[in-house]
Amino acid sequence: MSPTSSDSTRIDSISLNGLLPRVFLNEPVPPSEVWKSRLKFSRGETCLVEATSGAGKSSLCAFIYGLRTDYEGTILFDKTDISTFDIPRWQALRRRNLAYLPQEPGLFPELTALENIRLKNNLTGHLPESTISEWIDLLGLSSRKDRPAGRLSVGQQQRVALIRALCQPFDFILLDEPVSHLDPENNRIAANLILSEASRQNAGIIATSVGNHILLPYSRTLKL
Amino acid sequence: MKSVNLLSRLLRKNTSAARVAGFVISNFIGIAIVLAAIQFYCDARSLLDDRDSFIKTDWLVINKKVASGNTLGLTAVGFSPAEIEDIKRQPWVRGVAPFISNDYRVRAEIAGGAHSLSTDMFFESLPDDYVDVPPAQWSYRKGSMEVPIIISKEYLALYNFGFASGAGLPRMSEGIMSGIPLRLHLSSDDGTRRLEACGRVAGFSNRLNTILVPENFMEEANETLGTGRVREPSRVIIDVSRPGDVAINEYLEARDLEAAGDKRNSGAAFLLRLVTGIIAGVGGLITLLSLAILFLSISLIMEKNRQTIHSLLMLGYATSTVGSPYSRLAVTAGAGALLLAYCSVFLLREYYLSPLRGLGAEPGSVLPMLAVGLGLTLLTIGINLAGIRRRVIGSWRL
Repeated sequence: MSPTSSDSTRIDSISLNGLLPRVFLNEPVPPSEVWKSRLKFSRGETCLVEATSGAGKSSLCAFIYGLRTDYEGTILFDKTDISTFDIPRWQALRRRNLAYLPQEPGLFPELTALENIRLKNNLTGHLPESTISEWIDLLGLSSRKDRPAGRLSVGQQQRVALIRALCQPFDFILLDEPVSHLDPENNRIAANLILSEASRQNAGIIATSVGNHILLPYSRTLKL
Repeated sequence: MKSVNLLSRLLRKNTSAARVAGFVISNFIGIAIVLAAIQFYCDARSLLDDRDSFIKTDWLVINKKVASGNTLGLTAVGFSPAEIEDIKRQPWVRGVAPFISNDYRVRAEIAGGAHSLSTDMFFESLPDDYVDVPPAQWSYRKGSMEVPIIISKEYLALYNFGFASGAGLPRMSEGIMSGIPLRLHLSSDDGTRRLEACGRVAGFSNRLNTILVPENFMEEANETLGTGRVREPSRVIIDVSRPGDVAINEYLEARDLEAAGDKRNSGAAFLLRLVTGIIAGVGGLITLLSLAILFLSISLIMEKNRQTIHSLLMLGYATSTVGSPYSRLAVTAGAGALLLAYCSVFLLREYYLSPLRGLGAEPGSVLPMLAVGLGLTLLTIGINLAGIRRRVIGSWRL
């Protein structure tokens, strides 16, 4: 038993049992290592889910993050079916256990890059201001941090959203095509940042990709 | 920058100052009309009310109508036990008690030095439950011969405006009258037994056309001085469970009975109630419409900000935190409108109170007005808070 497994506020594993998006119910399901399978992601593990466009990778992230419920089968956090969670439980999970970098950065366009990051960090109180500044520098956003997010390029928004996603403690981080708009250099920097934060917290990483995947040392690669 | 400010900036997007102002003004007007009507009713009521502190409004004193038949002794003036039983059986009756009359002679004397005044009089008594006076003022200790008395206001008026001015005697206020000791000479019909007592006026009543003494004194005096004859009571008091029930009037009319007192201003009192009721109703309607304005305004803002609300929930913000800028808006706007309404009612009251006092009204309490205002505002705010919560939760999943 790992030293943290007795801590009821942590999630040690995410299990998928026969998961299938409802839209696929009446269609022939292409061969998949995820849909309709039994899978378990554990903390400390780094997993890549590779998919073609439209195979449902964003749906997978949305199901695990509690944004959508239109699926068959069950998703368990440790031994609890997530369909039993109420809103306050999900809110607590999203502050303490589950980080998510969606494919669409989803920043508030009227707030500056820095304000978007603070909006999350003020909620969790996770990072000191100095770390936020350091990461903004690291990802080459220093000159853009006081611009409204709506006026940043998609790649810049993606990097702001990445810092925002890391502004919380987590047991698992879901990365939905995190580097789709990043150049190889920024891909490497982002990967190092995520990896160091995940290892520091002994967290699991679940990343999806349609080709340009984030450069992490994956312990497992699944075809969706 | 604090996250509260960031949140407010995000969530107050699309807020229309004009719509919020529209709510505050219409809500203020609506509540102010309701409250002004209530306050005016409370203040003006004393002009028309025939309330009496000694006898509750749902107590009814009834007697048989005096007709020539009574005078000639053909029909009974008193209530027989069967008649009292019949009254008791009516559905609108909670309790009945007869007035007990004195079975002896009473002569009262006001000791006023050279001008001593004496008169023959009578006493009646009611069970203590039917006399709404604190027991400290309405108690007679057996044998003490110190008797509290309640006198009809009309008797004092008769003395002041009829007798005193004719006889050159000083007029007396209620206060002076209460302070003067009455010497009471009680004697049996044949004059063989006598009692001396000291009377003290405990109060004046609008609704009791009698001279009332405590029941235990009456029993003691009747026992000591009375003839022992059983006389039927000429008046009974009824504790009515449904005041205003038409069945009461029908019953009284069918049996040639009449209710004493409190009929004087019933028409005007009814009109005051009707008019203030209609005004309060109109105000209530405006309040309701203003509530709809605020509810729809907030719903509209939240609908336009649905994506923002959803994104904040996705970040992990609690539903109550996300709803709080809207809740604050509803609370502030509601409280603001209420304060404006309170202020305007107090201003209006300053304006009408002095002419009303000139008419002899005693200003009523402001508590009912304050309470109704608070209640209406809490209702408005509560409905809006519930709506806000529902909309935030509705944005949980897009």
